[in-house]
Amino acid sequence: MQTILSVAIDALAYGMILFLISIGLSVTMGLMRVVNLAHGAFAMIGGYFASYAMSALGLGYGLAIVLAVTATVIIALPLERFLYRRIYGAPELTQVLMTIGVTFCIIGITNYLFGPTLKTVPLPPDLAGSTDLGFRTISNHRLFAIACGLMVAAGLWLLFSRTGFGIKLRAVVDNAAMAASLGVRTQWVYAAAFAISVALAALGGVIGAELLPIEPYYALRYMVTFLVVVSVGGAGSIPGALLACLLLGAIETAGRYLAPEYGEFFFYLAVIAIVSIFPRGLLGRAN
Amino acid sequence: MKRLIASALAALCLCSTAYADTIKVGVIGPFSGPFALQGKNFKAGIDAWFALHGNKVGDDEIQVIYRDVPHADPAQSKALSQELVVKEGVQYLAGYYFTPDAMAATSLLEQANVPMVVMNAASSGIVIKSPYVVRTSFTLWQTASPIGKVVFDAGIKQAVSVVSDYAPGIDADSAFSTAFTEAGGEMLETVRMPLDTNDFSPIMQRIRDSGAQAVFAFLPSGPTALGFVKSFNDSGLKADGVKLFATGDLTQEPDLPALGDATLGMQTTFHYAVSHDSPENKAFVEAASKAIGDPKELSFPAVGAFDGMYVISKMIEATGGTQDAKKAVEAVKGLSWESPRGPVSIAPGTRHITQNIYLREVAKSAVGAYYNKEIQTFANQGDPGLAAIK
Amino acid sequence: MTVLENEAETAHKQGAMRLVAAPMLLLTLAIAGYFLFPDNLALLTRIIAISLLVLSIDLVTGICGVATLGQAAMFGAGAYAAGIGAAHFGITDPLAMTVVGAFGGALAGLLSGLVMLRAHGLPQLVLSIAVVHLFHEAANKASRWTGGSDGLTGITPSPLLGLFDFDLWGRTAYIYGVFLLLLTFVALRVIVSSPFGMLCRGIGEDATRIEAMGGDVRGTMLKMFVIAGFVAGTGGALGAISTQVVGLDTLSFALSAEALVMLVLGGAGSLYGALTGTVTFMWLEDVISAANPFHWMTIVGALLIAAVLFAPRGLYGAVEELAARIWGRR
Repeated sequence: MQTILSVAIDALAYGMILFLISIGLSVTMGLMRVVNLAHGAFAMIGGYFASYAMSALGLGYGLAIVLAVTATVIIALPLERFLYRRIYGAPELTQVLMTIGVTFCIIGITNYLFGPTLKTVPLPPDLAGSTDLGFRTISNHRLFAIACGLMVAAGLWLLFSRTGFGIKLRAVVDNAAMAASLGVRTQWVYAAAFAISVALAALGGVIGAELLPIEPYYALRYMVTFLVVVSVGGAGSIPGALLACLLLGAIETAGRYLAPEYGEFFFYLAVIAIVSIFPRGLLGRAN
Repeated sequence: MKRLIASALAALCLCSTAYADTIKVGVIGPFSGPFALQGKNFKAGIDAWFALHGNKVGDDEIQVIYRDVPHADPAQSKALSQELVVKEGVQYLAGYYFTPDAMAATSLLEQANVPMVVMNAASSGIVIKSPYVVRTSFTLWQTASPIGKVVFDAGIKQAVSVVSDYAPGIDADSAFSTAFTEAGGEMLETVRMPLDTNDFSPIMQRIRDSGAQAVFAFLPSGPTALGFVKSFNDSGLKADGVKLFATGDLTQEPDLPALGDATLGMQTTFHYAVSHDSPENKAFVEAASKAIGDPKELSFPAVGAFDGMYVISKMIEATGGTQDAKKAVEAVKGLSWESPRGPVSIAPGTRHITQNIYLREVAKSAVGAYYNKEIQTFANQGDPGLAAIK
Repeated sequence: MTVLENEAETAHKQGAMRLVAAPMLLLTLAIAGYFLFPDNLALLTRIIAISLLVLSIDLVTGICGVATLGQAAMFGAGAYAAGIGAAHFGITDPLAMTVVGAFGGALAGLLSGLVMLRAHGLPQLVLSIAVVHLFHEAANKASRWTGGSDGLTGITPSPLLGLFDFDLWGRTAYIYGVFLLLLTFVALRVIVSSPFGMLCRGIGEDATRIEAMGGDVRGTMLKMFVIAGFVAGTGGALGAISTQVVGLDTLSFALSAEALVMLVLGGAGSLYGALTGTVTFMWLEDVISAANPFHWMTIVGALLIAAVLFAPRGLYGAVEELAARIWGRR
């Protein structure tokens, strides 16, 4: 029983970290209809900024996160203006080609600037310790990640379904021309949504760095994970993504525990099963 | 007229062979992509060789041509090796970080009359694929066997091994299990986990359930190794007194700053530590650090490449710059020298490097830098892996 | 004769001419390649093998409109089928190896189709990823048969037709590859312009409408998956024959993704586009990575971005457009 509980807690923590890193992609793919394979690249840039801010500038963890998110968004906005804006509404395959190109460039440049070694985001003492749950210990960092994940989920849900911006965004996605004629400045809405997704990527990159260490190849190494999680949840659905992360996190963790040598089989068979039952993703919108 | 030019050209060619040749060496490695660090180390090792010994053997000048195979891709490796041989006219093939890449190119050697000097790829079987293969790196059997006895001698009777589920991991696991049970220990369990595992907490739970006193681990250097060690600490296993042993891949020098205190005191066995105390190594580290730019990036493939260049220079010396793979390989069989890693020799039978394997412990220097501190030497280790395949 | 019939007639004639002209053009290029780059035949053979994979993706993605990031499952299945046949069962005749590989690929195509046709859009893409990962893991696990991550070795194809050895310069492999590519290309042109091919294109454009018209969407697509598997498997077998080693990378997500990029670069939906994309991408990659093995990725990335900005319909699409503009104004 204790073991089951213990594995369940691991699964929860892992699922929330997955959610934190990939939710930004759900925004771009689901709400903006852009297959942004460079999502991981933005997460990585965030990680590098945080690492740099802490080791070279000596900033604290919280401040480093703020700086990383802001700086990544500042880098991403020109990319949105000059590259992404050209592929809104383009066929998916064209988007794939463009965003793969962006990813390659970012990987190459990072490798050149920072070298191929791993970078870490050192944790403050409060997060580096662990908490005793009675029957086991869990690192504070994981608890922090769970809390962040829940906050982000709640915040996004509020933003998209309860604010004027959310209504505008959904209107633009459903019918850009109509929204524009009603006075919605579609380009601004798109830019803002893109900035939000990049900010989420950077945040996830920094907080998830304990599990997915920052290195130049980050963007391609975890691309599949992000894609799978978002699609299984149903692109664009915040609760869907959360559910998918928890479910896949649980399956992967349980699989790794029960039969680690067949871990990959568990995960991908589960993906096939879920998608076969829910062909639009868990909570994807019929379209 | 045409004939005149042709004969003039021919004469020119003859002249140039009589004076000095440019001898080309083709090096294949991962110079971009997820293993770029290791490719960079190949180049650093080779550049260090040139810095210390010059690029001339006799009158012949060595020229290195690099080709990139970012991840294990035998088809690409073979195509590039073939191109190096027939288009660039290389006399030596070298490098090869991944086993399948080396395996693929071995089929070219005999017809091309080209020896291959493997600077990293670590599966035992490569040397039997062709008589023209010489290896200056290590095999996992070689580096993982000695630690079996170390673990037993530390008073540990029961252990589990946790390895990445691919050929090198399986080799490491077999080597450790064999050595540990031979010493008198008991293997409680072997856990094989997928190569791209990110979250190791369920694995840690399994280790806890097994009740073992020690864990032997093998994961490729890089992000997964980092995740594994962190998870080992977070799970409280370390605090509960479970000991973690591994091959040196887990604590390669460039990863140590990221690993931080997590690995402090961890024991590993390996063939090379950047901190090895010898004048040869001091000179090597200085030259290689300069070549790689950031000294913190220096790692074990560099020494494999450096010694590979030594072997190639001896081959060129023996053949006088003419292309004769058989003679070249014959000349280095039994060759022994003082490498930056310690005394080494090429075993005549297997053409694999015989070398010391060191037990090391991760320590912190006076200035706060982490390094692998050698604490015990297992002298003149061959490759037990070949016996295991046969 | 009505105007309509007349038009159909000319179209038919043109089609017949193009049917002959296209392979001729290919053959000319292949011969030119042989004499212009006699030292790069191994690379050219590799380009041909990957071309077959890209053509196979074109059938599924370009024609049927099913985006896939898992086509390497079929390519790798073909390579391993041919390789295992040669290494474990003594089937070393290159022709027999090719047949074994093609059928191995077709079987993998059938399996992929059965799984992938259960969803649409993004989830479908994820199914393709799951399929290729499962194949990859299965091959890694069955290391007794596949050699695991060390690669499958011990493949020694016997001389082609009992006469031509697979030599260091890769001449035999190249000529055999050209032959396979021509054969496949002609066969695919026939298939794509047949009523079956038209039906597939129709499905790619609007599956619901085809269904409403009484077309068997699932069955037709499944057939196309098997054909695509056959083509990719042939490519895999060619790779196994020319390399004599099969590695797990033949079953990787990375190869699938790279091949898809080549297809989109060239222009999906057209067989010429598939070939143009493969040759351009692989040739560029070879040149750039030889010139700078350390930082070529940045340049390739920049070129991909440029391609999207300046040739959104793919390179072949851009050439077509240009040609239409020139001849259209005559």
